[in-house]
Amino acid sequence: MRANNLEQLFKQVAKYSLLLVAVIAVVGGLVGFLVAGGNGLISALIGALVAFLFSILTIASVFVGSKLSITGFYAVVLGGWLIKIVLFGIVLVLLRGQPFIDGGVLFATVVVTILGTLAVDSFAALRARIPVVDEN
Amino acid sequence: MAELTGNIAVIGYGLAAVGPGIGVGMVVGKTIESMARQPELAGRLQVTMFLGIAFTEALALIGLAAGFIFV
Repeated sequence: MRANNLEQLFKQVAKYSLLLVAVIAVVGGLVGFLVAGGNGLISALIGALVAFLFSILTIASVFVGSKLSITGFYAVVLGGWLIKIVLFGIVLVLLRGQPFIDGGVLFATVVVTILGTLAVDSFAALRARIPVVDEN
Repeated sequence: MAELTGNIAVIGYGLAAVGPGIGVGMVVGKTIESMARQPELAGRLQVTMFLGIAFTEALALIGLAAGFIFV
């Protein structure tokens, strides 16, 4: 299905991203378990969840912002980005050095999830039929 | 010479924020410029901008997460 407006695009991206992260969590968890045992499994799940949350927050901010004025749009998108990076830093500080974290597995799942959600975002946005002229 | 203490990874985190910060600033600035020129294209420009931001911030997230393997 091709998205005809921003709301449909958002729903489409959210749906496919969720599917993708579920697959990555299962496959990554399995690989992590084989590579680093229980710690690898936990690291893979945490990595997939964190990367997914941060990817989906971007499009959520665009979606919420698009309902506001232009100024509100940029306040939400850029403010959301700022808060997100700070939160991501805090999460990393909390996770670093924890005994149940395997750095390699966590990094690999974060990178794979980010690249995967980027592919989903691009695919959905390129297929979308957003009208050139705004209806409003 | 003054003694330096701390972790070199902090500089890495800083660099991981600077590049994407410049990138996102340019993406958003150019989108605002385009919307000022052609306000009727706002919807389409926002979708394109979203893609630009998603790609740029991926670098930031990967850069921050790199602390797990390189340190």
